This record gives sequence, structure tokens and C-alpha cells, in this order.
Amino acid sequence: MRRALPTIAAIFVAVLLQVGLAPYMAIGGVTPNFLLLVVVTLALVEGPTPGAASGFAAGLLFDLLGTGPVGPMALVLAVTGYVAGLLHEQMFAEGWLLPLTVLAVASLAAELAYGLLLMLMGAGGPFWSSLLTIMLPGAVYNTALGLLVYPWLARFLRPDQQMKTFRRLA
Amino acid sequence: MKVANAEKQGPRPGVLLILVAVAIALITVWSREGETGPIHRLRAGVQAVTAPVSAAGEFVTRPVRGFFAWAGDLGVSRSQLEQLRQQNAQLRSRVAELEEARLENERLRGLIDLAQAREYEAVGARVIGKPANSWEGVVLINRGSDAGLKPGMPVVSAQGLLGQTIEVSPSSAKVRLITDQRSGVAAFVQRSRVEGVVRGSIEGNISLDFVSSETTVTVGDVVITSGMGGIYPKGIVIGEIAKVDTGENALYQRIEVTPASNLAGIEEVLVLVGAPEAQAPVGSTRGE
Repeated sequence: MRRALPTIAAIFVAVLLQVGLAPYMAIGGVTPNFLLLVVVTLALVEGPTPGAASGFAAGLLFDLLGTGPVGPMALVLAVTGYVAGLLHEQMFAEGWLLPLTVLAVASLAAELAYGLLLMLMGAGGPFWSSLLTIMLPGAVYNTALGLLVYPWLARFLRPDQQMKTFRRLA
Repeated sequence: MKVANAEKQGPRPGVLLILVAVAIALITVWSREGETGPIHRLRAGVQAVTAPVSAAGEFVTRPVRGFFAWAGDLGVSRSQLEQLRQQNAQLRSRVAELEEARLENERLRGLIDLAQAREYEAVGARVIGKPANSWEGVVLINRGSDAGLKPGMPVVSAQGLLGQTIEVSPSSAKVRLITDQRSGVAAFVQRSRVEGVVRGSIEGNISLDFVSSETTVTVGDVVITSGMGGIYPKGIVIGEIAKVDTGENALYQRIEVTPASNLAGIEEVLVLVGAPEAQAPVGSTRGE
């Protein structure tokens, strides 16, 4: 319970930022995904299972905030959170490069999977247009933002951990 | 950077499988339930709760956006200014001509007793939220069912058509813009009366589709709603044709349209509450 509170708080703040701030941070129509950033960070500091659970919750909120189908982002972020958690456990890189790489890969994979699910449901756009106008720019934007957000968020989520690399970043 | 794995919960594929199954069940329920289903009601509740956050975000970021707009205007060159002045003079003269035409039109309408022509009641609203993700062209307005709004009502600005309401809570409503990829508006070219469907795209552009290659459409032609489909009344300006591409042996022309309204900068809108209700389910507005 003690560790669940920061998780719930982080998702709550991400929802507020997604609704109140993200629309005004759009660059060329591409909006950052704060919920994805929180889910990947959670997966990296807590592991695959909490990553999947928080991914499902955050994704469901993302779906409910929009006007499209309800469920696709919940599915995508649950899988993203799980895989990001696994990836972290099986990688041995040190420093800021690891979370950044995981974030970049997770962001691109999540955007791709979400776009494909929407297409399957008849609610998405043409693949190449979506890839070039939303998926790739979105992944780059999320990764750049993650560079700023990740160290602070990870420290907030796990204040009990000694994470020497964070001192360099945050 | 690695956090001690002992404190982490190990991988439990079963949990993931359950979550995936629940997500798929949610997608199925959402697509099968009606407007009054539990997930749609839950979404309306979330919209009602988050609308004040959207409004707060719009208010808080306004000065910053104003600064960026001002900084952007600094880049306007002297030649551009001169061009704008000339354009302004032309438009003034055009407005005077149109005003004359409007007065004449009014007199003629009076003569043939067109006073019974359809007139829709309109509700003014302010835009309080922009799309929260990159996949949709939807804005949030500060009027909802308490003001008489329902899903499927046309939304216009002073310049022309903006879109239609799709989800309505008591004090707010979501408006799907004509640039959204799921939007479709029955339309025709004002000059030639050639009919087609104005559709949005993932890039946020609009095009006039299903116009036969055998018809003549030229750049600068005005595109207006045709009134077919029962959502948008006839005669609302949608935009102007910006580019026409007639491919060899193509059945239809590729026609790009510039929206009449500045969809990125809309602040105030009018909802035509007297228009007929949408019959199509939310999420499938293509072709009305």
C-alpha cells in the first residue's frame, strides 16, 4: 500500500497533465503522452507485473479521455508496461542510456500498436500517413520529454532507492 | 541505474493475460453497447470531471501561447505586410459587394415570402479544451446538455463549418472537427453544384472526395454543405478548394480544401441546436 500511493499519485498527475497541459504542448499536431511516460518509468522501477497493472489503468484512463474506442490503449500500455519491466531486468547497461532506450522503443512500439489496433477497428488512418505524422514524431517527442521527466519521476516513485545515476540527471 | 530486483515483483504472465483479456472485453462491450451503455456513461462522467481541468489548462497556458503567437508575428516581413494590406483592401471591397448582394437577397426573399425558411436556434460556446492525444481532432466546449446540446448538432464559427457535437455531458461537449479522420460531410461546390464528401485525415487536412474526374472543379471554388445526410443544414461554408489533381484514368479527382475556419485557433463557436439529431453512432460519422 505504501508503494501504491506514489503510483496512484503519479498516474493521477499524468492524467491532469494529459488533459490540461499536453494539448498546448502539441508540436505539429503531435501531443506528448504523459501516461506512457509514467507507465514506462513505473515498469522500470517496479518491474513487469506492476508495470502491466499500471499500464492497464493508465491506458484505460487515456481511452476514456478521448473519443475513440475504449480498451485499445489499456491493452497496449498493459503490454508495454510488462515488456518494459522485463526488458529492464534482462539488460545490464548502466546510466541514462538504458531508460532512454527502453522509453524510445516502448514509445514507438506503443504508438505503432495503438495505431494498428485503431486501423483494425476502422478508426485509424492510413498506415504510412499515421506512421509519419503521428507515430514517429510522437515517439521522438515522448523520448525527449522522458529525458526530463524520468529521473524526477523515478526518484519520486522509489525514494528509498539509491540511484546514483539520477544525481547526474536530476 | 538498476534497482535491486529483490524488491521488484517478478514477471507474472498470468496477470498480463488477464489484463489483455479484460481490455479485449472492454473493446467488445464498447463497440456493441449503445450511447447509454455503461462505458459510454463512464466516459461522459470522466468528461464532466476533467472538463474543468481542460478549462484551467486553457486559461493557464493562454499567456504563453500569446507570447509564442506574438513572437511568431515578429517574423512577418515588410513584403508580407504589404501583401496583407493589399489583401485587406481587396477583401474590404469584396465585403462591400457582398453586403450589397445580401441586402438585395433579403429584399428578394421578402418578395417571394421565404420568411418560413428554416432558421436554427444557436447556442454560443467557448472552446475550453484541445485534443488530449494526437489521434483525434476534437475540441471541448463549455456548453452541454444543460444548454440543450445533444450529440450530432452542427457547430459553426463566424467563418464557416467546424464540425459536430459527439459526446455531451451536462456542462460540456466534445466537438469532432471536420479535419478529424473520422469526419465526413456531404458537400458540393458552390459554383458548379458538383457534389462530394468532405473528409478529414490523420494529417488534419480536408479533401473533397468522390468528385468525378469528368466534372470541372477549379482552385478557389467555395465548398458548402449540401444538406444531405440530415446533420448539417445546407449552405454552410466549409472552405475553398486549394488544389485539384486529376490523375490519368482516375475515376475521382483528388481535391484539397482549405477550411474556411481557422480550426487551430478557434475560441468561440455556435452550436446549431435546432438542427436534426445524428442517427449514426458516435465514432462512425464518415459520410454523415
